[in-house]
Amino acid sequence: MWNDVLAGVIQETLAGFRQELADLGPRLLAMTVILVAGFLVSGSLRFVLSIALRRLGFDRLADRAGLAHALHKLGFAGEPSRALAKSTAFLVLAFFVLLALGSLDLGLARELVSQSFTYLPQVLVAIALLVLGAVIAGFVRRGVLIAAVNAGLPSARLLAGFVQSALLVLFGAMALEHLGVGRHIILVSFTILFGGVVFALSLAFGLAGRDLARELLERLARKGEPPREDPLRHL
Amino acid sequence: MSPPLEPQVEDRLREIGAADLLVGIPSYNNARTIGHVARAAAAGLAKYFPESRAVIVNSDGGSTDGTPELVASVESAAPRAILVRHPLSVVHKIVTPYHGVPGKGSAFRTIFAIAQRLGVRACAVVDSDLRSITPGWIELLLGPVLHEGFDYVAPLYLRHKYDGTITNSIVYPLTRALYGREVRQPIGGDFGFSGRLAAHYLKRPVWDSDVARFGIDIWMTTTALADDFRVCEAFLGAKIHDSKDPGADLAAMFVQVVSSVFDLMHVYHERWESVTGASKVPLFGFPHGVGLEPIAVDVERMQRIFRQAASDLREVWEAALLPEDLAALTALAGVEPLSVPDSLWVRVVYGFAAAYEHARLPREQLLRSLVPLYLGRTASFVLETATSGAEDVEQRIQSLAEEFVAQKPHLQERWRG
Repeated sequence: MWNDVLAGVIQETLAGFRQELADLGPRLLAMTVILVAGFLVSGSLRFVLSIALRRLGFDRLADRAGLAHALHKLGFAGEPSRALAKSTAFLVLAFFVLLALGSLDLGLARELVSQSFTYLPQVLVAIALLVLGAVIAGFVRRGVLIAAVNAGLPSARLLAGFVQSALLVLFGAMALEHLGVGRHIILVSFTILFGGVVFALSLAFGLAGRDLARELLERLARKGEPPREDPLRHL
Repeated sequence: MSPPLEPQVEDRLREIGAADLLVGIPSYNNARTIGHVARAAAAGLAKYFPESRAVIVNSDGGSTDGTPELVASVESAAPRAILVRHPLSVVHKIVTPYHGVPGKGSAFRTIFAIAQRLGVRACAVVDSDLRSITPGWIELLLGPVLHEGFDYVAPLYLRHKYDGTITNSIVYPLTRALYGREVRQPIGGDFGFSGRLAAHYLKRPVWDSDVARFGIDIWMTTTALADDFRVCEAFLGAKIHDSKDPGADLAAMFVQVVSSVFDLMHVYHERWESVTGASKVPLFGFPHGVGLEPIAVDVERMQRIFRQAASDLREVWEAALLPEDLAALTALAGVEPLSVPDSLWVRVVYGFAAAYEHARLPREQLLRSLVPLYLGRTASFVLETATSGAEDVEQRIQSLAEEFVAQKPHLQERWRG
């Protein structure tokens, strides 16, 4: 009797498993196909994009806009066209992975796919903010560097680097804020960090650069007076 | 297209009707010197052109020191002591503010418009900060147009060896190499031109660019050269003047002038591409020597900025310079005293011109990054010519100009990208 019961349970289990396998098999196959297609599409896209962007002069444009320098600073050693092609391919692959997970029709996978698609616009906006920040920070950094060198400031590179980093941090904080990651922590950290840096700079300027501070204040006070003539006439 | 004129100017133009000659004086807070300039212009017109109907136009940029009032109060009739013949007609005066982008170019635009409305045959423009202008300048600037049929009279001055360093190291040699004519002071500031050329200037759509500011001088000269107008020079003697704008930022002034030169290279590319060598233009006047005011130069500061830029601006210069030129500049920064050879300086200027054309960086940033190189080159020039006389220095400038001509194929190669 026990043997019959055991055999029945095993048969039932195996039948259920067979049924589930029969249901899941096509889904697994579909998932594999989607994944392979994803790899193929993203790989081709990366190849085509990197060639097309290079031919269209994207690297020069990125260099001009200061994006190349910002990417370099963020750890991307290669050309901007390759970085963009790689990121686009990665996004496309991520899209295919989500589709593949969706094809399994599991509750968890369904939820993940649904949440991912809801979250996608925010991710895209955050990426756009980071790219925009990198471009603006690069442009401003170069402007500050050139102006500081022309003014004869000894720590021009430091000043330019500080301005760029501050802008990158600002845009990074904006991107994270947009993603809703640790909203309050980021805001508080940024406020403390920024306030601290400004305070430290003020102290450093007031203590170490007393003479320079005095000269600047005197220059401000003299602003109403006629300017001193440059003895050299350049034109 | 002509700029709008003030209603009282329109009334004045109707009153005057027509004129043969016009002398324009652009101004902005030049009360210290403009009275002398206006008197010299009035005396020059009365003495040398007594039979012509003449107008003096002051185009002012909103002076607050009484500049326009000073011009208005200047006697139109010249002192009898300097006249050989009594003038047959009175010299009219028009004092007007100009409209548009604040700058010398916009002031000139108003002068061109008034010249066109009055149908003048010859015009002259003179800077309002001049201390060395004499009535003879008016004859030298208007005479070649009126009597010899020239369209453009560029000034030739005696200047201190360190006066006009942007002219000597960039604008003169580059203009000579590009357009094949030796105009020694292409941005001199005081010019004569025909009514025909004034009308030609007015038609060009450049009045919102740097041409409206400090770029006007090189634009006028280049347009006259490249559009095949008849160009000559007039020797005016010493040029002694107040600083262009004591408060002006060198970098801003430099960018305005050099961007105008590079923009014109784009406009006239087909014209200069085929030009080889350079020839002199006819010279009027009687060249003579005069004593010049000494100029003190802070060479240390210039060298310091150049040296700092050689380490800090490498990443920017890479967009314009060939690796070997960049390496040469870096090596020079470590050498005392600083000496930038002509051949390297020419390649630097040509490299920046090509980078500007291809917009390898935002153009303003690109040109501002050229300022430390210019300061380095100027410091090098000052150090090398510290004990040289005026003739030796002029020789040095001529040999730089020849280097620009010799390396023109390098520019053409870089220009093609």
